[in-house]
Amino acid sequence: MSLGRRAFLQFVGGAIGGTLLTPIPWKLADDSAIWTQNWSWRPSPERGEITRVRSVCQLCPGGCGITARLVNGRRAVAVTGNEAHALSGGGVCPMGASSLQYLYAPYRIQQPLKQMGSRGDSKGFKPVSWAEALKEVTAKLTKLRSEGKSHTVACLTGQKRSTMARLWKRFLTAYGSPNFYTMPDAADSMRLAVALTTGRDAEVGFLWDKATYVLNFGAPLLEGWGSPVYLQKVFGRWQTEKPGVPRTVLVHVESRASLTASKAHRWIACNPGTEAALALGIAHVLVRDKLYDAAFVAEKVFGFEDWTDATGAQRKGFRNVVLAKYGVEETAKITGVAPQTIQDLARELAKQKHALVVWGQDKGDKPNSLYHDLAFLALNALLGTLTPSGTVVLVPPDPWGDLPEPVLDTEAYRGAGQTALGRPSTVPRTKAPVNTVLPFLEALASGSEYPVELLFIHEANPAYSLPETALVTQALQKAAMVVSFSSFMDETTQWADIILPNHTALERLDDVIGLPGAPYVYYALASPIVKPLYDTKGTGDVLLNLAAAVGGGVAESHPWKTYEEVLKATVASIAKAGTGLVATAGSFDPASVLPGRPLQPNFKDAADLWNKLKAGACWVDAPAAVESFATPSERYELACQGLMVSISPTAADDLFMPRFHPLKPSGEESEFPLLLVAYASLMLSEGYVPNTPFMNKLLPDDVLRKQDVFVEIHPETARTLGLADKAAAVLKTPRGETPVRVRLTTAVKPGVVAAPQGFGHTAYDEYVQQKGFNANSLVEVQLDPITGLGTLWATRAQLRRA
Amino acid sequence: MSGSAHSEHAESKVRYGMVIDLDKCTGCGACSVACQQENNVSFRPDESDKLRTLSWMTLYRLENGAGYPDYRAAMLPRPCMHCDSPHHSPCTFVCPVNATIRDEHTGIVDHVAVRCIGCRYCMVACPYHARSFNWWDPKWPKSMEAMLTPEVSPRMRGVVEKCTFCHHRLNLARDRARLNGEDPDSVVYTPACAEVCPTGAITFGNLKDPNSDVAKLAKDPRAFRLLEKLHTEPKVYYLSSAQWIRRQSDNGL
Repeated sequence: MSLGRRAFLQFVGGAIGGTLLTPIPWKLADDSAIWTQNWSWRPSPERGEITRVRSVCQLCPGGCGITARLVNGRRAVAVTGNEAHALSGGGVCPMGASSLQYLYAPYRIQQPLKQMGSRGDSKGFKPVSWAEALKEVTAKLTKLRSEGKSHTVACLTGQKRSTMARLWKRFLTAYGSPNFYTMPDAADSMRLAVALTTGRDAEVGFLWDKATYVLNFGAPLLEGWGSPVYLQKVFGRWQTEKPGVPRTVLVHVESRASLTASKAHRWIACNPGTEAALALGIAHVLVRDKLYDAAFVAEKVFGFEDWTDATGAQRKGFRNVVLAKYGVEETAKITGVAPQTIQDLARELAKQKHALVVWGQDKGDKPNSLYHDLAFLALNALLGTLTPSGTVVLVPPDPWGDLPEPVLDTEAYRGAGQTALGRPSTVPRTKAPVNTVLPFLEALASGSEYPVELLFIHEANPAYSLPETALVTQALQKAAMVVSFSSFMDETTQWADIILPNHTALERLDDVIGLPGAPYVYYALASPIVKPLYDTKGTGDVLLNLAAAVGGGVAESHPWKTYEEVLKATVASIAKAGTGLVATAGSFDPASVLPGRPLQPNFKDAADLWNKLKAGACWVDAPAAVESFATPSERYELACQGLMVSISPTAADDLFMPRFHPLKPSGEESEFPLLLVAYASLMLSEGYVPNTPFMNKLLPDDVLRKQDVFVEIHPETARTLGLADKAAAVLKTPRGETPVRVRLTTAVKPGVVAAPQGFGHTAYDEYVQQKGFNANSLVEVQLDPITGLGTLWATRAQLRRA
Repeated sequence: MSGSAHSEHAESKVRYGMVIDLDKCTGCGACSVACQQENNVSFRPDESDKLRTLSWMTLYRLENGAGYPDYRAAMLPRPCMHCDSPHHSPCTFVCPVNATIRDEHTGIVDHVAVRCIGCRYCMVACPYHARSFNWWDPKWPKSMEAMLTPEVSPRMRGVVEKCTFCHHRLNLARDRARLNGEDPDSVVYTPACAEVCPTGAITFGNLKDPNSDVAKLAKDPRAFRLLEKLHTEPKVYYLSSAQWIRRQSDNGL
């Protein structure tokens, strides 16, 4: 049979028509659609019951409430805010929101490791058992103690506001070493300044909700300074119109148009690092025009008028010094702020019922020059904000009393008599603790005093996040043995000999003590949201274990079996103190807490408080009002008599009081004509943990583009250097050089280069590494000549075409 | 045809919308991170190519263009506008496969990834750049697969994705309401971005409910929408008292 053309077409047509009448094509199309969307490598998240656990974030000192969402009770899928938390009320920052990416990070350390190769070789680590690792550390501790070298053991912890820091300090004290350090903090210098002027050990808290006018010298309130979410909440309240209530005015002083400057009601642009001079210029106008709080100054302030020191010498008071040295014209010359603006600011401040002067830098992790802290405090004192009805309070770091005193045996006494490594003798002796991290690292790196035989590093990544990273790496190499407790393979941990990995923040029970910048006494417990994923141990427990193994006074000083017991002891002492309450949003008004009016407890006993705190609530109390001062003069000391031991008795009168004291940056202006300032952002983490992939997605492509990080320069600067927008360039400072790209913006002053912090990691994984440069490796630290604390303001820099 | 003709559902008493107060927004980025986490938005080692990146809630930097020291910047978070223009949103109008449709009952513009054929007409049509395309298979580091939420399916290579106003949360809330014998149309829910915003800049709710915060704020004298001249009728409103910010609302982003 032959098949004709017509028959063939009829057959094909019929076949198509027939097939279309069957479900075959639809089934095939459906199947192929399903098939193409079910690639085996596309994950299908396991389903299950969804539960919620509440806790408190520990990624920064902010102490925000968080809620974790779990699937089947074991897989954490989201972290959001805790809307019942009294101070963070449901808000989180981008880092807190992405905290699960640290828990599930590929760069986690999954078991104890020991360096088998040479120091610093990231491939040389081999897994060891906990017993083996602990045995080795115990042996070293026991040996050093028996040799009378206990003071050569040092610890650097990044968990500054937790019982962990106290436990470390206690361990070292009982063991016999003065070398306990926390990562640098603004409180390091501020507590010294507060102790010198008021005679108390306290941090400064600001009554944000009471203030009607906030003059802010440099603190990036909206970019991570203090307790970030709490301050964002405060800002949200300031920006909410309330009928009949005048809005709080925020005036921001800074050299760069940061987001805080942009969001402020008024931005005063000054030269980089000259905020303190402006404060003194304003003080000058207040004094000159008699606009200051005369009653407070007359009754409660020492050193405003001329005074006589302990040796009987006659000294000039603050009034005469500030009148002579900080005239409006002089201040204008230093700061670049117009003389009229300075006078207007002073008059505006004086007019306010509730003015507030705030100051700070970056995320509150940089100590300030002592004299500058004194200057800002002095401006507050002149405005009378330190009175019980004012806007500034002193928040004691430890209002409910510390753990019982450690037991000191002979070796502990011997160790206590040693000076901390590198600590300058000029540090004023006050009630405030001294935290000379950088002098310690310098002395360690140069080997100038005694060697460090054993260095513990806990929840910190100093090789990345301390300024002058080269110095830190040198110091790490000089320490005979480095033990890291890091949960992550970071830049510092790579230099360790033994790694005893801690649980991450979301896997352990821990606590948060105090909220930086907030006018409350604060305590919260962070409960684990999931069981530990790997073979890690909480450092608190490890430390108690080590203490027991070392024996003697060290074991006696640590009577607790677990870290949980230590926390329970802390909570018990809070309950015993009998004030403060478990605050929940809705029933608690943050603005209602006023100094000197302790809150009535709403919990039955310690066990009840413990349970409430473990469920994610926080404990809040009002600090005592500042009624009296515990200084030699029993007044607020504008002229600090406590500085008599630090400076020579023949020193000039102004060395005892607030003054503008810039330290000269190194390098010649001819070679380095520009000034480099590094800025912080909530989208970038520059601390212990790196940026998460979630956070990287936020970064604009004119901040990070592929491997290139952009520095900001003014178009005028660019013109003189011959650089176009987005052009490649080389940024050089006396500390090093790096390739960069430039972003032309009028947000920075001509002559200034602004670089973001938080890039340039070499450790971790492909999501973090090889992105730009670490600003910390370019900036220059200047040690405050009195306190020895590492301060940062601007580094001389040079920018040239690549 | 169900749900595509606006007039058929003129009676619906629900129109979910959002108001973002730019005077309060500090551009921290928590909203965007919460969104990525809530919706399993995938990420890659390099996220700096903004034409290739997946982002449902994008932060734009607005600048006033003035010289130092009069320069000011503000951040503008941009979710999907869930355009309420009559009959169609720009994207739903061009979708050849009904992968993106507006639920006329709630006003939410949905995108059904499994229906999407990846033609990207909708991306071209959207004047707000609210849509992103999956140029690659989503890939998470092995250990991070544990944090994928089962409430939103991960998408696959070759499809478009965008903000859904977290409509899985709405579905959960509606289910709960039905179980409790309440009116599912009266439910109030919060998308992930609004939930975590630390300054309370994002308000979400039913624009048709005159007593809701969102409806009141949308009538605030500070309120404006982006590219109003196109008559896309966005259901996302912005508030700002700064003239220089308001002026930029009619220019492209």
